[in-house]
Amino acid sequence: MTEAIHAEGLSKTYNGKVKAVENVAFTVNAGEAYGFLGPNGAGKTTTVAMLTAGLAPTAGSAVVDGIDVFANPNEIKRRIGIVFQESTADSDLTGRENLELAAALFSVPRKEVRGRIDSLLERMQIGEAADRLAKTYSGGMRRRLELAVGIIHAPRVLFLDEPTLGLDPQGRAGFWRYVEELRKEHGMTVFLTTHYLEEADGLCDRIAIIDHGHIVATGTPSELKDRLGGDVVTIKPTRTEPTLAALLQTIPGVTAVTLQDGAYRVKGTNGEQLVPALVETCTRANVGLASVSLKRPSLDEVFLEFTGREFREDDSVSATDRAVRIGQVQQAFGRARR
Amino acid sequence: MMRALVALTRREILRLTRNPQAIITSLMLPILYLILFGQAFNLQNLGGGRVPSAYFLEAFRGAPSYFSYFSAGMTGFVAVTATLFIGANVIFDRLFGVLKRTAASPASAASIFGSRLIAGSIQPIGLAFLVLGLSILLGKLGLAGLDITANVTVVGALEILLAIVILSAMFASLFLAVGFSIETPQTYFAAVNAINLPVLLTSAALYPWGTMPPWFQNIASFNPITLAVNVLRENLFAGATAYYPYGPGVYLLGLLAWALAMFTVAILLARRALAPKR
Repeated sequence: MTEAIHAEGLSKTYNGKVKAVENVAFTVNAGEAYGFLGPNGAGKTTTVAMLTAGLAPTAGSAVVDGIDVFANPNEIKRRIGIVFQESTADSDLTGRENLELAAALFSVPRKEVRGRIDSLLERMQIGEAADRLAKTYSGGMRRRLELAVGIIHAPRVLFLDEPTLGLDPQGRAGFWRYVEELRKEHGMTVFLTTHYLEEADGLCDRIAIIDHGHIVATGTPSELKDRLGGDVVTIKPTRTEPTLAALLQTIPGVTAVTLQDGAYRVKGTNGEQLVPALVETCTRANVGLASVSLKRPSLDEVFLEFTGREFREDDSVSATDRAVRIGQVQQAFGRARR
Repeated sequence: MMRALVALTRREILRLTRNPQAIITSLMLPILYLILFGQAFNLQNLGGGRVPSAYFLEAFRGAPSYFSYFSAGMTGFVAVTATLFIGANVIFDRLFGVLKRTAASPASAASIFGSRLIAGSIQPIGLAFLVLGLSILLGKLGLAGLDITANVTVVGALEILLAIVILSAMFASLFLAVGFSIETPQTYFAAVNAINLPVLLTSAALYPWGTMPPWFQNIASFNPITLAVNVLRENLFAGATAYYPYGPGVYLLGLLAWALAMFTVAILLARRALAPKR
């Protein structure tokens, strides 16, 4: 199978101190949808910036569509499309003018420009607003315009950096439907970063979980879930009992027991059947229970398994936070100027 | 490269024309100078009109009145007030992601910079002629106004046009250099304010040449606004060439040298700003 993206030992350290990405290596096959999943500050955007020739790496190499990214940045830019997490369309141009500009910058053959733009505007359901200034668009329309701008030149590889950030669930679903259609029709390779677990689960053929600049797991969504070894029952006792883990391990059907943040994560093939036995064992051991929860295998659980913490927002200000703030500023400016 | 340059220039011009506030702000200062300062600072009234006109002709380098002399200066000053928005747009484009999108495309740094430079050099032309027109109109309304006493030839008109374009290109380069080097609007406008006033106050746009001490004349002689308004004044006022040591061609060459120097600095800074981040 042809490789669309190959990264080897990719690292980025900012100001010689902050290690954003460290020794990342992965391969994305042509036509594949590959997801980079991780919380804010994990290194997703930094990786995309390096793969799209927007950021020089501290170490490592990357080949995209057969071209060395760092040796031929201009050639890479011709072959790829990018949808950024923040809005980048020009508010003072109409939707159509934004697309005309992108077509010229990416050297779309002149004869094809009009047809491609009309087709994209219709497909993204912004045809009726095509001649309105982009600053009058809703958030969903702007995102769809961003996607249209990103694919006007029919790129071989499309990078989507948290493209649905700030959209409501309906808008997100619509956006991914367009991406999926494009992928099927054109065999486009899609590299996406997201911290919406269900998006990665639904769209990606394979996923890499990235945390603190390291890839901690890769595989198809089902492979990753299978690695959990079935359902997970989380028992939070009122007090810690050193022998409890060993006792729980003896229950038939339990495959693994781990203690994380004062709670026991019990893996088993059938969680529902395990719960009564687990409660009974705790009662017999004279351990009170604060809570018991059952979770089916999900990427949320996968993330917890491989990183040892819940999939949640970090406290630090990240690129995503900045993007949201910029979006708010843009909206405020847009309103003031209308 | 050419296709990207044309498309990006079109975008810049569309943006400028769709923001009337920017155009009004560009004109605000020169027009206020014309209708307030220019009317009140009427030097011919000194001495109850008994000062010989020859003295004024000398002081205003051939211009028939202070207002005529001064309005030519304000026409040049428009190049400064209009082009500062070209640099400001770089800051806002960076803030709102547009620059990131453009830099992620195969468009070269030269075309991204060049498009802004072209738009910045063209846009002030209309505004400059608007200031000239308004200055003439004020005279027709019975106020102090611009009195063009020379027969402006086609060559003269072209020289005036060229002076405005080169002066605009020079200031567009300067403000683009600032815009590509600075990240926040606050810092940009602080830097622009620190440039604007000293440039205006060390030029011959405002002060009568004859009232300046020689050391100030020496400084003002090299000011780019002075070089441009010299071209305007030599062409607009009959006999003015006698008061200038050089013809308009020399001042245009001086202006061109300024523009080239500023262009070189600006394109280097733009390339650095648009290169992949390290």
